[in-house]
Amino acid sequence: MYKTFKLIFAFLLAVLFLNSSAIAGAYKGPDLSGEKIVISGPWLAPQDEQFRKVIKAFTDATGATVEYGGSDSFEQQIIIDVKAGSPPNLAIFPQPGLAANVAALGGLTPLGNDMKNWVLENYAAGQSWVDLGTYPDKNGNKDFFGFFYRVNVKSLVWYSPDNFSDNGYKVPKTMEDLISLTEKMAADGNTPWCIGLGSGDATGWPATDWMEDIMLRTHKPAVYDMWVTNEMPFNDKRVIEAMDFFGSFAKNDKYVAGGSKAVATTDFRDSPKGLFSSPPKCMMHRQASFIPAFFPDGVKAGEDYDFFYFPSYSTKDLGNPVLGGGTLFAITKDSKATREFLNYLGHPQSNEIWMAIEGSGFLNPNKLIDLSKHSSDTFRGLNQILLNATTFRFDGSDLMPGAIGAGSFWTGMVDYTSGQSSKEVADKIQASWDAIK
Amino acid sequence: MSITSLFLYVFFGTAICFLYFHLSNLALDFASKKNTIKFSQKSVLRPYIFIAPAVIILVIFILYPVVETLRLSFFNKTGFEFVGIKNYVWAANDPEFKRAILNNLGWLLVVPTLSAFFGLVIAYLADKLWWGTIAKSIIFMPMAISFVGAGVIWKFVYDYRGPGDDQIGFLNAIVVSLGFEPQAWMTIPVWNNLFLMAIMVWIQTGLAMVIFSAALRGIPKEMLEAARIDGASEFKIFTKIIIPYLEKTILVIWTIITILVLKIFDIILAMTNGQWNTEVLANLMYDWMFRGGGDSGRGSLMAIVIMIGVIPIMIWNIRRHKEDEKS
Repeated sequence: MYKTFKLIFAFLLAVLFLNSSAIAGAYKGPDLSGEKIVISGPWLAPQDEQFRKVIKAFTDATGATVEYGGSDSFEQQIIIDVKAGSPPNLAIFPQPGLAANVAALGGLTPLGNDMKNWVLENYAAGQSWVDLGTYPDKNGNKDFFGFFYRVNVKSLVWYSPDNFSDNGYKVPKTMEDLISLTEKMAADGNTPWCIGLGSGDATGWPATDWMEDIMLRTHKPAVYDMWVTNEMPFNDKRVIEAMDFFGSFAKNDKYVAGGSKAVATTDFRDSPKGLFSSPPKCMMHRQASFIPAFFPDGVKAGEDYDFFYFPSYSTKDLGNPVLGGGTLFAITKDSKATREFLNYLGHPQSNEIWMAIEGSGFLNPNKLIDLSKHSSDTFRGLNQILLNATTFRFDGSDLMPGAIGAGSFWTGMVDYTSGQSSKEVADKIQASWDAIK
Repeated sequence: MSITSLFLYVFFGTAICFLYFHLSNLALDFASKKNTIKFSQKSVLRPYIFIAPAVIILVIFILYPVVETLRLSFFNKTGFEFVGIKNYVWAANDPEFKRAILNNLGWLLVVPTLSAFFGLVIAYLADKLWWGTIAKSIIFMPMAISFVGAGVIWKFVYDYRGPGDDQIGFLNAIVVSLGFEPQAWMTIPVWNNLFLMAIMVWIQTGLAMVIFSAALRGIPKEMLEAARIDGASEFKIFTKIIIPYLEKTILVIWTIITILVLKIFDIILAMTNGQWNTEVLANLMYDWMFRGGGDSGRGSLMAIVIMIGVIPIMIWNIRRHKEDEKS
């Protein structure tokens, strides 16, 4: 009897122990009292408040002091600080291109192999994240500098579950399904897509996201990388094909709300409203994770709207590519506490604190995080897409030189939807790329 | 900044100006009294000392930027590497740049002409009506709106929604109610330029009208009465007396609006951003200068081109002004 009791007791203990280790537990860092870390980045209200909550758990655990300063001219500021020799310990870069610039100035400290292997192992599509954080240093030697933290997803299609169930449509799992669903919707007399490219002097950018998503679904990531760096010219057959594929939606009057003429003239903020009008102007809208902010007041996630992953072809062996953006941390002045802070950012707790903040929309590809900590099902679903990704690629137009990625690529896509041929537009964009070389 | 420090700045600013003139004047008098300089030199020097601050400010804020812009237009995009006339060669072959020049010429032809024409006609007709003043104040109102604001208003006029949707655009609402297909006005090349020019005409007509009304008052009543007694028709009076009499005013208005139109930027940026063949020089300059990292070489080149466009009109204007003073 006693023996059995002892056994049960041991078993219970074991379960308890296992359980607690499974929750991973709170972050416990080394004692760093007296150490100070200075971080600068582009986050302003409300993100800076949210980030300070993440910082607080670190300072409580280690006793270090952490100062975060946000600036909307961070991009200029960091270059000036590095050149002047007074950089912060950590810099938060809004895009890899800028981090690469600073690395080339010799302003970044390599994160080392341990960190690199940790990312490879614990981030979904780890290799993509390592590649996005790897740049040549001052001497041209490539090294791992950037650690991604806080990411957004662009490969999303938004829809109204009510409209889908009323018409008997099913969420497509493959690109083939999405194409046939589009055809079916048009045949039923519904308009499949809402596409709006208007965005003031940034008009055209939503179409560049379409192009990038299509490139990732029709070609290997290596081709995408070549396209983004212009190793493969913009007027390559493969790019023109991708543009025509976008055109098969956007230039078909039956497939897009308001007809193809409306595509370039509709503001991207107004475009998704077509999902919620009665009768609906369209059934689907492809846009990044931030778009619910522009949905009409009072619509509820999961009830009035939902999203699915912009699917990949089942016939092409390209896995599940995800297009997105994100911020990365890089060491601009090394110290023991700085290294520890990066370790902390890899720890699930630093992710979960931010995830739990209502409406913060914090997503990360960290496989260790507990998705139940998200403030809503929408974000849980979004994060799931990120975790299912086999390939992650950064928004290509952000990686291209500004004159292209924030210039001729945008205007070219507007010209394309307004009637010019894909060849004409691709030639023009390539010509503008040649002109800045 | 608090109000007190504002007053302090104004006070010290004025005090420094006063001291500069007073002390330099005293120093000059003192020097001539001590015979360090001759009396004749003194009167030659005095005006230079007095205008020196103004000249220095002009050099810093006007001459230096012009020279620097000219210099930058021969340098690469970062402004560090000399590239000779490479930017100019590029511009001469760039289709977008040619398009912008053509469009600017179109703007120069249409906008000043139409604004002056409408302004004159409205000013003339409004004088004859009891509700003319009300009409004039309404027509003058757009002058108070910034160009970007006007762009936003006219966005609603030209807005396009697909056929079958409710048209919130004023123009399309009319077109649809008459039974036609709605049009995406801003995307129809050549016409869209005219639609954009209409905005500028809408704004500038008010200015032309106000100046013309004042000038019309200056026409001697006796002359008009004499013409009427001689049996001249109203149309004849308008074309043979009023227009020749207003010739100078017409030229002034035409130059004001021409210079404004050469610099046209805000309306294009707000409405089309140069898309659909509506590009103009100033918007293209902004694009090259600031978009995506910027290219100070090509941006400066376009600034220079715009300046070259404005200079002849300025010179002509100044010369005419001088002739007026002589006569």
